[in-house]
Amino acid sequence: MIRSHLRKRRGIEMQDKIVEVNFGPQHPSTHGVLRVKVKLDGEVIVDAQPVIGYLHRNAEKLSEMGYYPKAQIYVDRLDYAAALNMELGFVLSAEKLMDIQVPDRALWIRMMMVELNRIASHFIWLGTHGLDMGMLSPFFYCFREREKIFRILDEITGSRLLYNYFAIGGVYSDVTPKSLEMIKTWLSDFDKNLTEIENIFKKSYIYVARTKGTGKLSLDDTISYGVTGPMLRAAGKKWDLRKNKPYLHYDQINFDVPSQQAGDVYARMLVRIEEMHQSARIVAQVLDKLPAGDFYNKKYSKPMLVRIKATGESYIPTESPKGEFGIYLVGDGSAIPYRFRIRSPSFANLSAAPAMLIGYKIADMTATLSSMDPVFGEVDR
Amino acid sequence: MNLFFFLMSILYGILKFLHIDFVPFTSHGYPIGLWIAYLIVAVVEVILVFILAMLVVVILIYVFRKYMADVQNRIGPNRLGPWGSLQLIADVFKLIQKQDIIPTAADKTAYRVAPYLVFTPVVIGFMIIPFGNVSLLNLMVINFNYTILFLVATMIISPVGEIIGGLSSHNKYGMLGALRAAAQDMSYEVPMLISLISVIILAGSFNAQDIVIAQRHIPFVVPEFLGFIIFFLAVLGKQVFPPFDLPESASELVSGYSTEYSGMRYGIFYMGGFAGTALASLVIATIYFGGWEGPIFPGTIWLIIKAGVFMLIFLLIQVSVFRVRVDQFLDMGWKYLLPLSIVNLFISVGFALFAGGVF
Repeated sequence: MIRSHLRKRRGIEMQDKIVEVNFGPQHPSTHGVLRVKVKLDGEVIVDAQPVIGYLHRNAEKLSEMGYYPKAQIYVDRLDYAAALNMELGFVLSAEKLMDIQVPDRALWIRMMMVELNRIASHFIWLGTHGLDMGMLSPFFYCFREREKIFRILDEITGSRLLYNYFAIGGVYSDVTPKSLEMIKTWLSDFDKNLTEIENIFKKSYIYVARTKGTGKLSLDDTISYGVTGPMLRAAGKKWDLRKNKPYLHYDQINFDVPSQQAGDVYARMLVRIEEMHQSARIVAQVLDKLPAGDFYNKKYSKPMLVRIKATGESYIPTESPKGEFGIYLVGDGSAIPYRFRIRSPSFANLSAAPAMLIGYKIADMTATLSSMDPVFGEVDR
Repeated sequence: MNLFFFLMSILYGILKFLHIDFVPFTSHGYPIGLWIAYLIVAVVEVILVFILAMLVVVILIYVFRKYMADVQNRIGPNRLGPWGSLQLIADVFKLIQKQDIIPTAADKTAYRVAPYLVFTPVVIGFMIIPFGNVSLLNLMVINFNYTILFLVATMIISPVGEIIGGLSSHNKYGMLGALRAAAQDMSYEVPMLISLISVIILAGSFNAQDIVIAQRHIPFVVPEFLGFIIFFLAVLGKQVFPPFDLPESASELVSGYSTEYSGMRYGIFYMGGFAGTALASLVIATIYFGGWEGPIFPGTIWLIIKAGVFMLIFLLIQVSVFRVRVDQFLDMGWKYLLPLSIVNLFISVGFALFAGGVF
């Protein structure tokens, strides 16, 4: 939607006396390297134009230059806040393309790991959201809770941020009884700790007054911009790929899809926090249902994988913390992908930024931008 | 008796004893010994007040860092000195060593002056605080009939320093911060002054010492509770501290009016904020909670206790709130604080008319 149309819809006129401010790329609250060209009439934003590309690393082309398993480390670095979710999108797509069967245990382990990483990602969002709203303390509480998850992920995968843990055909290492015990201990007080943090937001009069009605995006706009994930659910559509197009074993598990009607910053906060509770619920169920068996397909060891020549195309959409994520792979009969296309949710979500910014105050801008939860490894890729 | 004249008369006595005293020019002028005594005592007291203010700031910043770290599950400074108490001194030395950067396009004179305009008036404000009453000696630096008016006059200068600092640094964020400072300044200042006037009506004097003495039976927070709330909120707005840190809101305007400032100039802005908090706590303790009045302990200790409680409350607020939006702050100032402060003014006029004897 063109920005002049947005201005007309909000009843704003472009005055002569405007100040043009470059919001970013070096700015404390752009969550990376976003640059927004903002035109201000006093405190009111009359024009906003996101400029991206400051973190471009050519991930797609680099992935097309190596064997299929090699692409995984690039995929890891897309959404570095939820690297396992990114890996999942890749391995699912690659397995479909190569027609590789995955043992049941690996699927359940993947599901558990992905949900743990989703919670970690949402914790980063919650902390930085508080920071952008002018309060420092929740940032530390969120990172304290995130650290507990990282201890678990470190125990299982061996690294803390970029894991390279899922493999085509399974996972790299099995979960040990010790790590399962760690997850159980963590689960026992997770809900209590999260409720403590979320009450800082929900019960703050200032937070509610600032976020209700701020950064509104209607359901129609949300769909026409291709916005997915928590932002779509906050606008009133109950669309979660884990429920609507189940992959892994999500159809065997009970969880709710939270949704709100308002489509503003406050609704997005509620949706994301409820998602964290639901993710913990999923992890608890996976712990109960985790079957015994192999954790990777013994037929495909790593030296085998680089020799697999695939043809055809595949795309499996997954629900990453930011929205629909998937990798479209085209194989031309060689061991190297012909096309490696990344569908990244943050990029699509960010395109809706002008619709959420124009007409609001500059103080709302940081609230709105952080409520979108953009990660620039994924936007610029 | 005032501390100033007490010291001055002692010094004058010494000078007379040493025969350094004659009446210059005409027979009607003051003796030169009096001038010398006046000058020396004035300089000494200004230095004393400066040291006092800096001491309070140093303690406050240390307590703030430790307290904030405690709230946020951190340890805080713990390397330099016992419990990290020398960290601030190291920070000051670091800031002094840093390169003094002035933007090329900045208005250089205004840019240099601005931090001092923020910091100096706060230190001057310390002068009128009555720190106690030892027998007949008033522990305050200067004492005259209109000390509260003097305080108001100094308090109004520091936002001007913020505006000048923001506008002169030739930076768009600085300019936005300066405009916000101007808007914020106007919306808290009027209710703040009106609630101060209510106190003055009740006490029947513009003198801070008289206001303290007028509270010897009941502190003014009892009849003036509404005024106290208004004054407290307005003071929160005056200190650019959360939730009203709009002019320098770090996540929106980078650093607002202090965006371009670095090194010791930034440090002076920073210290000015903390000195302002200390002064505000002292003022609140003086005009609403009876200042140095209190049983058993000497007056100075009572004042320190009362002001210390308010400093801690300010710090507690700072770590536990989100930032309000600009229009919400202006709404609060003009739509709620101003009418309520006028209501409070009428209430205190009523008190003064019909229950004046109590106070």
